[in-house]
Amino acid sequence: MPSLDYHREPHGVYFLIDNKSFYASVECIERGFNPLKAPLVVMSEADNTNGGLVLATSPEAKLLYHLQANVSRQRDLPADPRLVVVPPRMTLYIQRNLQINAIFNRFVADCDLLPYSIDESILDLTHSWHLFGETPRAVAQRIQHTIRHELGLYTTVGIGDNPVQAKLALDLYAKHTQDLIGEIHYDTVQETIWPIKDLTSIWGIGHRTAKHLQRLGIHTMADLAHANPYLLKQELGLIGTQLFAVAWGIDRSQVAKPSLPQSTSLGNSQVLPRDYHNVTEIETVIKEVGEQVASRLRHHHQLAGAVSLSIGFAYAASEMTGESGFSQVMRIDPTDQDRAITAPLITLFKQHWHGQAIRNIAVYTAKLQPKQGQQLSLFTGMEQQLRTDRLAQTVDQIRSRFGFTKLVYLRSLVAGGTAIQRASLVGGHNGGNAYD
Amino acid sequence: MTKDVQLILERLQPFFKQRSQTRYWLQITDNHYGQTYNVFFNYQRKWHRLKSQPLHTLNTYNLADLEAIVTELQTLTKLTIDYVGFGEQVWPNRQQRIQRKPHGYE
Repeated sequence: MPSLDYHREPHGVYFLIDNKSFYASVECIERGFNPLKAPLVVMSEADNTNGGLVLATSPEAKLLYHLQANVSRQRDLPADPRLVVVPPRMTLYIQRNLQINAIFNRFVADCDLLPYSIDESILDLTHSWHLFGETPRAVAQRIQHTIRHELGLYTTVGIGDNPVQAKLALDLYAKHTQDLIGEIHYDTVQETIWPIKDLTSIWGIGHRTAKHLQRLGIHTMADLAHANPYLLKQELGLIGTQLFAVAWGIDRSQVAKPSLPQSTSLGNSQVLPRDYHNVTEIETVIKEVGEQVASRLRHHHQLAGAVSLSIGFAYAASEMTGESGFSQVMRIDPTDQDRAITAPLITLFKQHWHGQAIRNIAVYTAKLQPKQGQQLSLFTGMEQQLRTDRLAQTVDQIRSRFGFTKLVYLRSLVAGGTAIQRASLVGGHNGGNAYD
Repeated sequence: MTKDVQLILERLQPFFKQRSQTRYWLQITDNHYGQTYNVFFNYQRKWHRLKSQPLHTLNTYNLADLEAIVTELQTLTKLTIDYVGFGEQVWPNRQQRIQRKPHGYE
């Protein structure tokens, strides 16, 4: 079997730590249940979830009802009296995540800890593991015990010589072993990564990429490792070469070095609680989302040089027309003002909408630049421009001090408006009781 | 009525619909990890899934305070109260065990 000389590749000790069924486990602990024993699901029953959307499933519920984590609907749940259904509390999960990362901080320096998502973090223990145990595996066990002891939560740990090996060890092995630890190293790549036949279980390979690879005759990770990298690049672009590197367990990224995206964007999207047909209702929501984005721009002291509007049609409308929606971009003069953002959005909407029923609305701003002063326009009076800017700042201040719902546009109160209801959401879901 | 009891009663009201063939009860948990007492409102229709709604978190981790709240809740609601996570702890005033047997999911 061909092998590769890895000695010039970066060698370190990386942990990728994930919380087992995070939201469900937190809810179990809050109720005094063992996270591995109770069949519990966290289900959002907001208006726009079409009956209910399962956000998290405890390991026992997964086992009993063959549920998947984030694609199950209320209709997939059995009417089993043993099953406990609870609403989400996003604020609580964020608090727990912060506590977990504070525990990680006892084992690594700040710069070696990279929170990857709400329930996953990357730890670079290259320089500190030997302070806490005989082997990296012993350190992993110690971290697991600390978190279980202090917060009651179970964690799974992937260990690797670089971040991608740790990630694969976590996804492919740690989640299925007794001690919830998996390891992949340069010298075990051939036994651990190559035999994988289900390509979608590999980080970075979705259904479409897997199909594309299969068309190229690549059915296992071993096939991918022995494919022609130039062909992969030609077929899949840059991601092709990246996947080729993954197949060999190679990752040259440096966790401690922050990566700067070439261009940033900022936006919001929402799924509507029902199909919207009425033009006034739709424009109300577009304006609300536009204003939310403008407010976030002001908060980040950024100006947007382009706005984009994406509209998703309702199921029936997309079946009939064969189109799922449209997405359009417009260049604008750099701004962070409500009206300057919403006006082009409404123009885009009027130009491209032909009466279809709508279910999704997304507004994004791009070509961001830092706000270093106000660019005055020649076409409006200077006084008025300054007044508009001051007004927006005052509204933002009132909202940040007293809450968003204390000052809303009248249109948010008419049928179709969603801003007030959305104001209490955290990460798109119920934040939990306002004060406990 | 204490502020905590008032908050609990206010929050359980929308879920207490008094439907037939439906069981309603309160669950109080000793979360020794977070050092809090958590109050939930549980309800379950016969042969259906159990729904558990968080009502309140009591941050004063003191059994005597909890006992006072529980006494008030019992007189005001008549709801059954399930205790989870209390182990062999005893009410300071009543001198009775709080939780009779361990919960199946503990």
